[in-house]
Amino acid sequence: MTLLFDTWYVAKRELIKFFRTKVRLVVTLVQPVIWLAFMGNTMNQVTDNPFGAQLFGTSNYLAFMTPGVILMTVLFGGVFGGMSIVWDRRIGYLEKLMAAPINRGAIPFGKSLAVMVQGAIQVAAIVIIATLFGVRFQTGIGGILVIILLASLFSGILSGISLSLAASIRTIETLMAVVNLFTLPLMFASNALFPIDMMPGWLATIARLNPVTYAVGPIRELTLHGWEWGKILPGAGVIVGLTLVFMGVSQLVFQRATSE
Amino acid sequence: MENAIEVAGLVKVYKNGTKAVDGISFHVARGEIFGLLGPNGAGKSTTIKILIGLLNPTAGELRINGVDIRAYPAEIKRATGYAAQETAIDDRLTGWENISLQGRFYHLPGREIRDRATEMLKMFDLYERRKDLTATYSGGMLKRLDIACALIHRPQILFLDEPTLGLDVQTRQMIWDYIERLRTEYGMTIFVTTHYMEEADVLCDRVAIIDQGKIVALDTPDALKAGIGGDVIYVRFSGIDGNEAALRTKIGAVAHVRRVEPTADGAYRVIVEQAGEETIPQLFALCDQLGITINAVSLKKPSLDDVYLHFTGRAMRDAEESREAHARARIMRGRARRGK
Repeated sequence: MTLLFDTWYVAKRELIKFFRTKVRLVVTLVQPVIWLAFMGNTMNQVTDNPFGAQLFGTSNYLAFMTPGVILMTVLFGGVFGGMSIVWDRRIGYLEKLMAAPINRGAIPFGKSLAVMVQGAIQVAAIVIIATLFGVRFQTGIGGILVIILLASLFSGILSGISLSLAASIRTIETLMAVVNLFTLPLMFASNALFPIDMMPGWLATIARLNPVTYAVGPIRELTLHGWEWGKILPGAGVIVGLTLVFMGVSQLVFQRATSE
Repeated sequence: MENAIEVAGLVKVYKNGTKAVDGISFHVARGEIFGLLGPNGAGKSTTIKILIGLLNPTAGELRINGVDIRAYPAEIKRATGYAAQETAIDDRLTGWENISLQGRFYHLPGREIRDRATEMLKMFDLYERRKDLTATYSGGMLKRLDIACALIHRPQILFLDEPTLGLDVQTRQMIWDYIERLRTEYGMTIFVTTHYMEEADVLCDRVAIIDQGKIVALDTPDALKAGIGGDVIYVRFSGIDGNEAALRTKIGAVAHVRRVEPTADGAYRVIVEQAGEETIPQLFALCDQLGITINAVSLKKPSLDDVYLHFTGRAMRDAEESREAHARARIMRGRARRGK
């Protein structure tokens, strides 16, 4: 009970700041617009033919790409979890939190919760923008809510990873560099922007193992086709599983780093 | 009545092998202002962090309000407040948000947080600015807010680690006035570390000097100063012509006088065990009898700096010089960061 309470207030602190930072809010909205408007329009000819439509599963490249943009946004947002711990350690706030009688587990959980709520808000914004660009989500409101939930859980994975790294990395710059080192390849070695069948063999092999591909699967299915559980559940299971694993890892690493 | 803090044989060895605290013992009475003095790396912060449950002791008995801190960490946390050396204020939150979140972390109900935060912000003269982002606060305001936050849950014992480090003289004075008020108005026990010896002298009931993890002296500031060898009275006479030897013998016979030495400029230095201000009238009375005039007199009492020098073999100033520079650099960095 205390854990939930403490987690909420750790997260609330981050969320107050998230909504206060107007620039970050605007960038959050502008980024998907840029992706969808430029990249989407450039690539639209690719799917504008029967062959392309079959390969991508839709004749609307924007609809194909929207799940990719969603994943990309939550992929890059996860780093903020670790960053806020690095920052708190630097200004002494982390110590202050630990001097309070809160459940220590609430600190990493709260940071991740904040990241996941921010992710959900960003994804909701992307869905609205994509709709304005003419993308129709085949599963309607229900599907959109599941998409938001899955994307939000996925940002929890990245938050867990960045929190775990933050235990031993003491500067924000280094943490950013290390996180980008694997988020960019994860992004491009996946089916987020192009179907796996278009990739050279070696890349396709990597892409099939890539967790981003697993996450794109159910979201794309819900966007383009419908409630086909056989295609939704495996990906959803991987997302939930990895979220639990990395939440656990971030807990362990944090408890170890703060017990002296 | 049990003591607020009792420490016996406290040892802390860090995982990397550094022995930060090496078997210290002391107690702090309820309502006492207790100062822990010592240079950087002497073990002051480590001691505080162990007492509030941030670090685990390697060995030793520790009790707060008679309760073993290892057995009941949560209870100890509720009984103690802590303001670290760095002012741990989130500068993208307002003063009000900072203090009310702190209340949440101490599991206070919302209503109590509102009342208590209002009371504390008013006491520390921050209430008018409560809705401003703390990025706009001055260094002194941030420190005050930090202490106010540490008081949100009405702790009985307040731990302050270097509360005046890097602040200007006026602000330091103000912080100490607040600390005094906490004791007089709330009967709070205050455990403070500082390296400003004058401050410790004026405000602490008792001080412990810690050096390389060991307590080398512990007493009231006056007793410590008296202990290291007395006040020095500097006097200049006129009309002694040829009676120097007799005068010196007579002064030497005055109560508490240890010895009399001539100085290079023809005056005398009278070393007194203690209470030099009480010896001066006796010198005047003596000179009256002898028909000698006193032209000038001054009294120098040993300072805590002298005490520190006596016990550690080096001046606090030398040990602290690099630390001051370090603190200044940190503050400048902080300003640059906020300026961005």
